[in-house]
Amino acid sequence: MKRNALWMVVVGLWLVMGFSQNGLAQDVASVQQEVKKLKPGLSRFLLRGYAHSGFERYEKENSFVGGSFNPIFLWQQSDRLLFEGELEVALEHGSTTIGLEYANMSYILNKRMIIRVGKFLIPFGIFAERLHPRWINRLPSNPLGFDHGEQVGPAAALGAEIRGGAPLGASKINYSIYLINGPSLNDGSENPEEAGMLHFDNYEDNNTNKAIGGRFGFLPFSSSALELGVSAQFAKVGNENTIYQDVGARLFALDLSLVKTIPSLKGIVDVKAQYSMTQVDDARYVDPENPGQTYTFKNENAAYFVRGTFKPAFVANTFIQKLEFAGRYSVLTLAEGAAWGGEKRQWAFSLNYWLDWRTVVKFSYQYTDAPGAEEAAVEHEEEGTPLGGAFLIHWSFGF
Amino acid sequence: MNKHKLLGGLLILVVVLVTVWVIGCASNKTLVTEKSGAQLWGENCVRCHNAPSPPAFNDYQWETIAIHMRVRASLTDEEVQKIVEFLKMAN
Repeated sequence: MKRNALWMVVVGLWLVMGFSQNGLAQDVASVQQEVKKLKPGLSRFLLRGYAHSGFERYEKENSFVGGSFNPIFLWQQSDRLLFEGELEVALEHGSTTIGLEYANMSYILNKRMIIRVGKFLIPFGIFAERLHPRWINRLPSNPLGFDHGEQVGPAAALGAEIRGGAPLGASKINYSIYLINGPSLNDGSENPEEAGMLHFDNYEDNNTNKAIGGRFGFLPFSSSALELGVSAQFAKVGNENTIYQDVGARLFALDLSLVKTIPSLKGIVDVKAQYSMTQVDDARYVDPENPGQTYTFKNENAAYFVRGTFKPAFVANTFIQKLEFAGRYSVLTLAEGAAWGGEKRQWAFSLNYWLDWRTVVKFSYQYTDAPGAEEAAVEHEEEGTPLGGAFLIHWSFGF
Repeated sequence: MNKHKLLGGLLILVVVLVTVWVIGCASNKTLVTEKSGAQLWGENCVRCHNAPSPPAFNDYQWETIAIHMRVRASLTDEEVQKIVEFLKMAN
């Protein structure tokens, strides 16, 4: 009797364990199925980008601005293949515009070399490629000479590029060499007042010559705190089969980036600077004031900015931690003697409050003046940054 | 024109010399291979923008972002590997 009872207990336990093991195995299989559903394949898509909106008050106008956003599409085809594309959706002159900022494909050839083809941001200095997104640019406006309509040097172009980065002992280097359509020369045939200007949005090449350029960056210290860069680009810029077809242009830029934690100040100091210049061969253009005659001028243009910020990120007060103080000085000097020539200078200051690491509200004041503006630059004021003082409040959002 | 070119050049030269001097005094010679992912994350991301919060993206998203930053910011292969490992561990 006792023996039978013992056998019944053993069989019962065996059955319970069997069923529970079977249940556990089913649970594991079920979880594995769920995990498999969630695991992405080798092809991965990511939507990132940024947006901004705000209010701007200039001496002659004030308005809410922005309402624009820039979606960035990242498509990772494999560990080596990446597509990146950015659109800019904005309100301009009462309508919605959609612009293609860049769209290119990259292939990682090896640890030190990446090839890229398409429309890409040009590493001519650091502003266009690294600092222009609204949530990265610490001031609401771009420096003089680095904005659409009055830029000295390219921002984006169509072409092919080889780039990469490598350690060099405790230091580092990075490099880029590219071939692009290059800038085009406005010869004044359509608008004599713009003769001699370089246009960088040259998406259907105006000649058979291609621009060659590149940037070399050197980070001398192990902390990567300092980066020094030099950029250059060379091209023939005149329209094919015109007297300007052999007119060439040389573009140069120097840049600096310094980001350093200062323990005694309990904060981070960030200094950025860039100097850009363009030189165009001498050429004679139709005089806009005397259409029967021609004139020439020394076609050299320059722009530079120095920007400094301080963020007390390591103080105890959580409100002050999120503040940032920014200041910038920039100068734009366009060819003296040209109908569009002239000079502008700008001081800009901003008090920023970071809602999180990629969302910032900027309260800014800037003052822009133009020495000798009565003669030239002020006439084209509407094409670039308005003169005088301005208050700008922007909310920038990275995602 | 020439006056401002000279002024701009001098301004940048002064900034360069001062910063090289200041950082040179305080810098050590640690190789990238000897640094942790957390240290590289703190040093490199802030060169352009605030250091990203690890929980902002999942592991797979960080891998895609890492390739993007390798292309865009010319980070080295060694840096990217270590930074991604750190972000995946910390998110």
